[in-house]
Amino acid sequence: MPQQTITLEVFRYRPDEEEQSTFQSYDVPYHEHWVVLDALNWIKDNVDGTLSYRWSCRMGVCGSCGMMLNGDPKLSCAVFLKDYFPRAIRVEPLANFPVERDLVINMDGFMEKLKTVKPWIIRDDVDPTDEEYLQTPSQLTAFKQFSMCINCMLCYSACPELDGDPEFIGPAALALAHRYNLDSRDQGTAERQDILGSEEGVWGCAFVGECTEVCPKNVDPAGAIQQAKVAATKAWYKHILMPWGKR
Amino acid sequence: MRKPLVRPYPRDWFLRTHAYRLFMLRELTSVCLAGYLVFLLWWLYQLGKGDTESFQSMLSLAKHPVSIGLHTIALIAAAWHSITWFNLTPLVMPMRIGEDKVPNIVIAIATGFGPWLVVSGSTLWATLR
Amino acid sequence: MSHLTKTNEAFWWSLFSAGGVMAALFVPVMIFVTGFVLPFMMGDDVESQHDRMHGLVTLWPVRIALFGVIFLSSFHCAHRIRHVLMDFGMRWAGVALMICCYSAALAGTVAAGLILVRL
Repeated sequence: MPQQTITLEVFRYRPDEEEQSTFQSYDVPYHEHWVVLDALNWIKDNVDGTLSYRWSCRMGVCGSCGMMLNGDPKLSCAVFLKDYFPRAIRVEPLANFPVERDLVINMDGFMEKLKTVKPWIIRDDVDPTDEEYLQTPSQLTAFKQFSMCINCMLCYSACPELDGDPEFIGPAALALAHRYNLDSRDQGTAERQDILGSEEGVWGCAFVGECTEVCPKNVDPAGAIQQAKVAATKAWYKHILMPWGKR
Repeated sequence: MRKPLVRPYPRDWFLRTHAYRLFMLRELTSVCLAGYLVFLLWWLYQLGKGDTESFQSMLSLAKHPVSIGLHTIALIAAAWHSITWFNLTPLVMPMRIGEDKVPNIVIAIATGFGPWLVVSGSTLWATLR
Repeated sequence: MSHLTKTNEAFWWSLFSAGGVMAALFVPVMIFVTGFVLPFMMGDDVESQHDRMHGLVTLWPVRIALFGVIFLSSFHCAHRIRHVLMDFGMRWAGVALMICCYSAALAGTVAAGLILVRL
């Protein structure tokens, strides 16, 4: 039986050669067990070595290979060709990010936003030589789900609010802030309050919920943000009604 | 050389995927709700006049097909708001008992659908008895 | 991050949330009453229908409940409509949009108060 093929229409952008982006069509051998990343690697190895894209673990834990497949943000290592065959697959860089080259996006903005929420244990007492902090299984369960983020940025591509406000801190970073606020070892909730309670923080979210839908690790950033909105609202009322209290 | 390309976001993004369209539908129920609230204010004003003629005109209006049509649309919109709202509440207020998460459906029924049934039932009983 | 903008959005969101619950619990059955119960399910005697409806609505607990539902639902709708308009591209309207939406809700609330007190 002749080798079946599947067509990939891949976004190309070569800043040194062209002003605009283009699409290049490749007919890739179709194998039932191949994922989209396998197809891209085949193109790069056999047809066009100039095709640029990020990937690493090829098993859905590193978060490197995020891209838009037929308009949906996905990890290319986690999506099978057979889910699309015999239709063509349109492969584009993650939405809501500037494109450096081909499928490689510029994630500087995302990295800045991650830093902004202070994603580390904040404590008044810091002595590395002391004993370890004790945490019960129940205390771990309180924040564990929100700690599973692999920074793949699919949620940023799914969020329509980022276009209206590019400064919006976004799902992954806000979920991460909430993860630390819920951690029993952390004492930094008050310090993060100005960040979360700002217009660019939780209030930039309209609860579309697509971030949670596309997340490959079930982090549920939408839920985290709504919970953070409740916390931010309580903090706001406390500040208004009892301004003398310690923040 | 580096020349990052910024791609324009479609102005009609909310029409482009099934999920975005559903989101917009959910949000737009507020327009129908707002319209009904305006009608409700008129309705209460008419009822408050206290005379049978005003009430008769309210009755005739209520029996008109346009009123039935608009009320049907409003009811569908309001019910859609209720259903989506109660289903989202467990994400906003998750509950745990020790290490075990209370299932979302339980929270939705206990804080939403259950009270909805009670409120609707008692209101209907109060008006129909 | 260039800078973070302070906001009182929490206040409007708290009204939106409370209003969302009120609207979700009460408005569907109210629509059913005004649209279907009143014209079709209250019998034929106009006088007694009027007395029952009027009697029910003028009870003070009912007036207070109606005020609560209308007040909070109005602000719920105003907040949601404001954000829908922002999603449609009117983010530039900023504070003007807030003023338009929330004053409409306030007007509805005041109207409800006046009507319910004078029933």
